[in-house]
Amino acid sequence: MGDRRFLVGMVHFRWKGASVRLFRRNPSQEMPSPDLVLPPEGVPIRLKVAGVGVRMAAQLTDILITFIAAICLLIVLGFLRLTSPDTLFAIGALLFFLLRVPYYILAELLWNGQTLGKRLMKIKVVAHDGGSLTTHAVVLRNLMKEAEIFLPGTLVLMLDSASPVSSFMALAWVAMALAIPLLSRWRQRLGDLLAGTHVIHLPQPILMPDLARADPVLHRADAPGFIFLAHQLDHYGAFELQTLEGLLRAPSTAMTGANYVNHRATVGAIIEKIRRKIHYADPVPVADQDAFLRAFYSAQRAHLEQRQLFGERRADKHHARHVDAAD
Amino acid sequence: MLQQRVMIRSARFRSEREEDWRRLEALVARAETQGLQNMAFTEARDLAAAYRRVTTSLAIAREISLDRALLDYLEALTARAYLCVHAPQERLGGLIHRFFVRSAPQAMRRSWKFVALGFLCMGLGALAGFLLFIESPAWYYVFMPPSLGDGRGPDASTAELRSYIYDAMPDRSGLGAFATFLFSHNTRIAIFVFGLGVFACAPAILLTFYNGIVVGAFVGLHVDRGLGWDIAGWLSVHGVTELSAICIACGGGLQLGAAVLFPGDHSRREALRLAGRDAVKLALVAALMLVVAALLEGFARQLVQDRTMRLALGWGIGASWLAWFIFGGRGRV
Repeated sequence: MGDRRFLVGMVHFRWKGASVRLFRRNPSQEMPSPDLVLPPEGVPIRLKVAGVGVRMAAQLTDILITFIAAICLLIVLGFLRLTSPDTLFAIGALLFFLLRVPYYILAELLWNGQTLGKRLMKIKVVAHDGGSLTTHAVVLRNLMKEAEIFLPGTLVLMLDSASPVSSFMALAWVAMALAIPLLSRWRQRLGDLLAGTHVIHLPQPILMPDLARADPVLHRADAPGFIFLAHQLDHYGAFELQTLEGLLRAPSTAMTGANYVNHRATVGAIIEKIRRKIHYADPVPVADQDAFLRAFYSAQRAHLEQRQLFGERRADKHHARHVDAAD
Repeated sequence: MLQQRVMIRSARFRSEREEDWRRLEALVARAETQGLQNMAFTEARDLAAAYRRVTTSLAIAREISLDRALLDYLEALTARAYLCVHAPQERLGGLIHRFFVRSAPQAMRRSWKFVALGFLCMGLGALAGFLLFIESPAWYYVFMPPSLGDGRGPDASTAELRSYIYDAMPDRSGLGAFATFLFSHNTRIAIFVFGLGVFACAPAILLTFYNGIVVGAFVGLHVDRGLGWDIAGWLSVHGVTELSAICIACGGGLQLGAAVLFPGDHSRREALRLAGRDAVKLALVAALMLVVAALLEGFARQLVQDRTMRLALGWGIGASWLAWFIFGGRGRV
């Protein structure tokens, strides 16, 4: 995305005061993030689009699984004396084909868009429009896989110098099959485009404790109460708040040696910065540093959330400048 | 009491609903491991209800909370629940039944124009090949790929040609022949014809036409030697099914190509997606027919040696395909 914006910036030049734009529109302004999926319930959900690398890994796993199954079956047929050396290759190819076509379709139907390889890589097929994955979509995207991956794959494996034209065609086909997902914002291959699907990373729901709630360890009975006034909380926005949240969630108790020393130094420096910025006069003793940050986090979050309820979202510490610019 | 006073609004929001979210988490885990079908009715109902509640929670949290951890959690939980609730709910048996009884013949009828175009390409090609061969047998070498004819060409004697038609070669029947056939020339042609249709129809038409020329020249060679009916019988056994499969695959490819060329009111991508609904069914029908043709070539052609029987078998099976396409899936009104 970033380099694309850069490109647009390059061709967006001025000529005699008139702005000339070569592209029809600036993609950075209008297009929503490709990670957003809109379910029928109407609340958009962020589902990160899976990249080409992780999908290739899943694909290789699946190919390996079906290939090994085909080899096993071939050995069984060999013991039953149903094969002869000159038809071995053709029967093997047939078995591989007859195993993998139903495997992909059935696995994605039964496991709701996941094959074994995809389960391993924790990725999943979803419907592009946010509805449920239809049978038609699953069948179509997996049949196109034959034409998109396996056919050019076998062609490349069977390349020979005697037929340069067909070799060139096979290579062009492979290049096209790889280029289409790279050009698509949702990393859709041709089968995905036809079926109206794309592949996402499965998110892991992990609920962390709420930092704004009183911590029995930090809030001892004799701990000093840190009081912040409204004007002291007007400096920061959501970005700084969530950065502080990240720092507070760092597992400081699990740190050892130099890491811990560094962490303490960072915390100390941050507290000094905050104190200077918000004009907090009282010094913070080392023993109370964590309690101070927690108290500041809670107070800042309560303040910002209240502002947000009243319709003023403060994205970051530059919010005041934005308001001035608007005036 | 003190706890309540200390808690800010978004923390209170979370503590009131946390239990519900945990329960949904457990339900989602069960649905993912066991499948929705195997869950009790009450659990499935609770899952749907809790999913809607968590969707609402997510929408509210985005408005009132700045707790990144909470937002991420709700985001992930809603996504997982969404993927469970909106999962395909179809049984496999019903799916296969529906394809054979309803959707496949209906798709064939809906796209009969494209299929007819496929047959037209093949037919014109065959006619051209036949006429060209009659004009000069040298054309045969131009069209025929060397691997295809098994050495059958204008150089071969009539007796040799006849022996090919009526000789039950034991090493050319059975599973090996079946497999060899399925990966032979014609299957590859069918796949190419379908796949290349996307590129604005032209490659699919050319390839089908070329395939027709090959068939026409091949038939022309035998007619020239007075083996016309014999080759008709030999070809009919599997050829009726197999060449039809290529034509149907071509029809599917043409449908995709037409969507790219003439998208109408839709965007090209959208038109391609809509055309894909029928085209993929055509491809499945063609694949099925190719498998049947492989069975016929691998087993039936060696078992049936009589010319009339061969003709009857080949065209009988062709007629039953046609009957399936015409009469299948017409609902009783």
